This record gives sequence, C-alpha cells and structure tokens, in this order.
Amino acid sequence: MRKLLVLKLFFLTVFVQAQQNDNLTVGFESNSQYYVDDEKTGDFTEKNRFRSNNYLKIDYSISKFSFGVQAEGYEPMSLLNYSPDFNNSNVALYYAKYTSKKIEATAGYFYEQYGSGLILRSWEDRQLGINNALRGGRIRFYPTENVTLSALYGNQRSGFDVSDASIYGFNSEFNISSMLKSNSWNLDIGLSYVGRKEENDDTDYNFNDLTNAFSSRLNFSVNNFYSSAEFVSKSSDAVIIFDKIRNTKPGNAFLFDVGYGKKGFGINANFRRIENMTFYSERNATGNIFNQNIMNYIPALTKQHDYLLTNIYVYQAQPQISFQDFALLKIGEIGGQVDLFYTLKKKTTLGGKYGTKIALNMSYWAGLSGDYDYLNFEYDADFLKFGKKYFSDISLEIRKKWSSDWSSVFYYVNQYYNKRYIEETFGIVETDIFVSESTYKMGIGKSLRFETQHLWSKDDKKNWVGGTLEFNLNSKFAVYVNDIYNYGNDNETQRIHYYNLGGSYTLGAQRFALNYGRQRGGLVCIGGVCRFVPESTGLTANIVLSF
Amino acid sequence: MLFCSIVFSQKSVPNSTLFTLDGKSLKVLDEISKNKITVLSFWATWCVPCINELDAISEIYDEWQETSNMELIAISTDDSRTQKRIRPMVNGKDWPYKILLDKNQELKRALNISTIPQTYILKGTEIIYIHSGYSPGVEDELFEVIQKNKN
Repeated sequence: MRKLLVLKLFFLTVFVQAQQNDNLTVGFESNSQYYVDDEKTGDFTEKNRFRSNNYLKIDYSISKFSFGVQAEGYEPMSLLNYSPDFNNSNVALYYAKYTSKKIEATAGYFYEQYGSGLILRSWEDRQLGINNALRGGRIRFYPTENVTLSALYGNQRSGFDVSDASIYGFNSEFNISSMLKSNSWNLDIGLSYVGRKEENDDTDYNFNDLTNAFSSRLNFSVNNFYSSAEFVSKSSDAVIIFDKIRNTKPGNAFLFDVGYGKKGFGINANFRRIENMTFYSERNATGNIFNQNIMNYIPALTKQHDYLLTNIYVYQAQPQISFQDFALLKIGEIGGQVDLFYTLKKKTTLGGKYGTKIALNMSYWAGLSGDYDYLNFEYDADFLKFGKKYFSDISLEIRKKWSSDWSSVFYYVNQYYNKRYIEETFGIVETDIFVSESTYKMGIGKSLRFETQHLWSKDDKKNWVGGTLEFNLNSKFAVYVNDIYNYGNDNETQRIHYYNLGGSYTLGAQRFALNYGRQRGGLVCIGGVCRFVPESTGLTANIVLSF
Repeated sequence: MLFCSIVFSQKSVPNSTLFTLDGKSLKVLDEISKNKITVLSFWATWCVPCINELDAISEIYDEWQETSNMELIAISTDDSRTQKRIRPMVNGKDWPYKILLDKNQELKRALNISTIPQTYILKGTEIIYIHSGYSPGVEDELFEVIQKNKN
C-alpha cells in the first residue's frame, strides 16, 4: 500500500511537471493468442497454448532533453515463429537525447535510416518481430538550413542483447538548389557510409573484418517533373552458402525513379538492379528466417495489395546469393514498376456525378543474367541484361462513388509467381484475381462493407473464393467476418476454409480487438519484409493503450 | 488521481523531423500554426481506410476551410517500399492537403501509434481530439469537433 502511495506521488509529481511545459507519454501494446486444436488442420503440438507479446514504452521530455525506455515481455512465450531470442521480460531499449536548433545528440538505443535504407535501416515492426535498433551514440548536426551531417557508432540489438560487430555510420545531405537560391527547381544530394566490423578467423578466404558500404544519392525536381537516383556499393565480403563461407564478393545496387504529376494525374516509374546486397550485423546470420541482425532494407518494389486473395503469392526482393543446385543460381535481381493514378472528372460520361478514380500498377522482376560457375560458387554478372523471370504483376483499381451513401471498389490483378526461384521450391504460379467491394453508409460512422473475391489459377492450389462482411455500428465499434476457401484444390482434404471473425473497439488512441479464426500458413509481409507463420487456429486479443 | 495524471499527459506533438515531397527536412512544430485548428492524419498509400478517409474529406474540404480557420496535414508513414507512390497518388487524387513524410516512422513511434489511420485535431499545438480507424461518416464527427473549437 505504501509502495502504491509512493508510486502515486511519483506520478502526481510527474503530472504537475507535465502540466507546465513538459511531456510524459506512455504507450502499451499487447498481442496475445490462445492456440487451439483444429480437426481440419491438426492439433497444436508446440509448448504453451497461450502466448503473449507485450510492449511498454515511456517517454519523458523536459526542455531540450528527452528520455525513454521500452520494456518487452514475452510471457510465457512469444507468439509462433518469432525469434527464440525474444523470451521472458526485460528492459529492451533506453535512450537520452538532447535537441537544439543545430544539434541533436542521442545516447542509448536509436533508429536510423540512410537514404532509402539500402545500406542502413534500423526500425521496429512488432508484427514482424523486427527491432534492429542500434545501441551506442549518434549526433546530428545542422550547420545551415541546407546541410545535415550525422555520425553514429554502436552495436545492433539482437534479442535482449546486442551483436558483437561494431557499426560505424556517417551521413550527409545537401540541398544544392537552396544554396544557389533557386525557387524554380530543386536539387538534393546525399552521401553515406556504413562500416561493419566483425572479427573473423577464417584462413581459407581473404576478406577484411571491416566491410564498407557507400551510398550516393541525387534528387531532382522541376515543375511537375521529378526524378531520383541512388548508387550503392559494398566492399568484398564473405559469401555464405549452406552455412559455410564459399567465396568472397562485393555487392552493389542501383535505383532510379522518375515521375510526373499534375491535377488529377500522376505517373511514376522505378528501376532497380541489386547484386549481392544482403547485409547483416553478423555474417553467420545471413539468410536467417527470423529477420534478425538485418542492417539494410531492400523491399520488393511491387504493389502492396490490400485483399486476402491478392496476398497469397507475394514477391520478396532477391538481393542474396543462392546456389541451390545447377539450375537454381541467384545473385540478385533486376526490374521495375510503373504506377499510374488518374481521376475521371465529375459530371462527365465516365466520371459520373462524383468522379471515378483509377490506379494502375505494373511490375516485372527477373534474375541477373551472367556466367555462373556452380562448383566454385563463382559468377560474373551482366550489367543490364535480364535473366530468369521471377515475378510480374499487373493490377487495375477503379473506385467509384454511386451516391452519397454508396461507393464501390473494383480490383483486378494478374500475377506470375516463379515459386521455384522465389521460394526455392518448385513450380510457377499464374493467377487472375478479381475483387469487388461496396460500402453502404447508414449514418455518422455507421456503415456496412462487403467484399467478394475470386482467384483463378491452373497451378499450385488452384482456385480460391473469398468474402468479407464488416459492420461499423458507430465510429468506435466494428465487427467483421471473413472467409477464404481453396475450393479448387485437387487434394480434397486440403480444401480448407480459412475463416476469421472479430470485433474492435476504439476510444481516442485506445484500441481493443478480439479475433477468432484459422490463419493460413505462409508469409506475413509488411513493407516488403516477410515473416513465415505456420497454419494455426485460435483466439487473438490486441490491446493498444496510449496516454 | 493516478488515472487523471496519465490521461491528460499526451497534450502536444513531439517535434520530430519530417520531410516534404521534395525531400527537404523540417520540424513538425514549425508546420503547425498557433492560431489555427490543425488536423494531422497519419496514413499510408497501402492503407485502404486511410485513403477512404482522405478521399471523403477532400470532397468537403472547401467547406471546412470556409467555415473555420483550419488546415489538414496528411502525414505519410510509408517506408521506402512505397514512398515513391505518394506523389503520383496525391496528384492523381487531387488531394488539397499539405503532405509530409515520416520516412522511418519517428513521429509515429513517438506518438505510440500502432494502427493507421490515426487522426489528431490540434488547437494551436495542443491535442484536443484523437480518433483511430475510419468508417464512413467519421469525417462528420471530426468536423463537429473543429466547429466546436474554432476561434
């Protein structure tokens, strides 16, 4: 009781402080699941049917200083297929930061990204089990409005510990057009360096403890036209295949983007080529399935689809070297995508009373062509030649409002998914998917939404059908039910309904959600990074609190 | 007392670094006018309810601005996978908002946002209303709050 009183007094003091000009924030997130046996997909055979991932984050700021801590609890165990290093409860992150107009200095754990992340990105994604924050120090310096310089040193978080390798980083950004006082065009350049020093005692191959990565970037825009380019190189480093060093090779990447936009119309195209660009804070972590020790971010540049059946065959970027067999040799990828957005004007024949919105995306990805020497794990890649096709995707979305109460979305996707190369298993899957979604508004925040989907394919598990029904009782309370069914599967016992039903309640920034259902096994992908989840059935609870 | 002290603690926005579509960095508090109502909407190009919300508001945005001194800033939490899609989407949809990029989700994390859309209404720099999620008609609730708090 006395302890509680002291605690209350402490919070009261903090509160009185906070009333003046300071800021205390608390965030809590809890994701739990109770796994049950399923007569169709099998019993739950792992340890602990109940599992829970919990995060408590407290930040406090006083004038130019801020402090924070994040505790994490995986009790009694983390959810299925999270890294086993996320176990028990402990303080996971802490920091102290000083911010002024010219300087920002951080000690403790911090997140950082250079350019688009091709040589360095540390971030947190709780759904994917990624937290690769760096522990050490960082300083950012803004000598003028047009220049940013920053430097960092640290070790990368791994579970509740850090990995052994030392990470060094330097980043600079210059706004050239502002320096030249130009208002009609904009030009930025950026230069970055990342070094990873991990000792090695390998005697067969010659490579340095320190691996260097450089990135140079350019951003240009004038009127409605814009473009950007990024060049990346990584110094020669051990190539690990089947858990052993097999060779040493440098890596590189090239990214180019161009676009044009005006009122009611926008178009954008990316091109990217990557060769041997995986980068881990520990060489031995290469290719680990839990996404631990990742240093850089190489997302798939394809459209991130929104519907259940459009997310069965999801492309993942292929930056790694993989020599699985004579016929399955990978050292990178080359390809691109085009995006187009267009609004058909109101009160025209096609636009109708409310206008019609159209979005088109096309992407194509292939391996790098070149000379491969399977027995010696050696290769020599061509620069701009496309090799084996990995993936293509064409999607068209039409959004139409019929009246003040009714609106619809129609979505068509055509995919080519080279399962053999992407997942390193076998087969090619070609699909056509159609989705139709309608929303009926019944009052303020009260609405009904329904979705029907169909996937046609002659390959893999063949045809699927799906549907969703969602009812928002008001702006705070919603319930839904959905189901996807693999009715075309040749193996009749594998024709399974993956159903889910649940509800959520939100009040301001607080959110509670409950869900019961059967989860399809496969990849859960967020932002181009995927986590493999096994098939499971159970009750899920999510709580998000923020004060 | 303990409860009260926590409930009211998140009252302003941490001054994180954000970016314009042209790539210029800026501090979020420099973009929020002290004499206006500001709506901060956290969204992403891949988030359907976020786009529904911003589409719905864009149709009545003229009316909002005519009747109250307000501005909506749409803060994209897209990471580099989808960041290049922001500009053509904003152009194609002809959204009238100021667009800022929270490139590595620094501000999103500082505000403890775990799901989007999440929308904040600020009077000056003080947070007076938070809503997460979107269903049709939520924009009418937002407008009521704006009307009630306008100068």
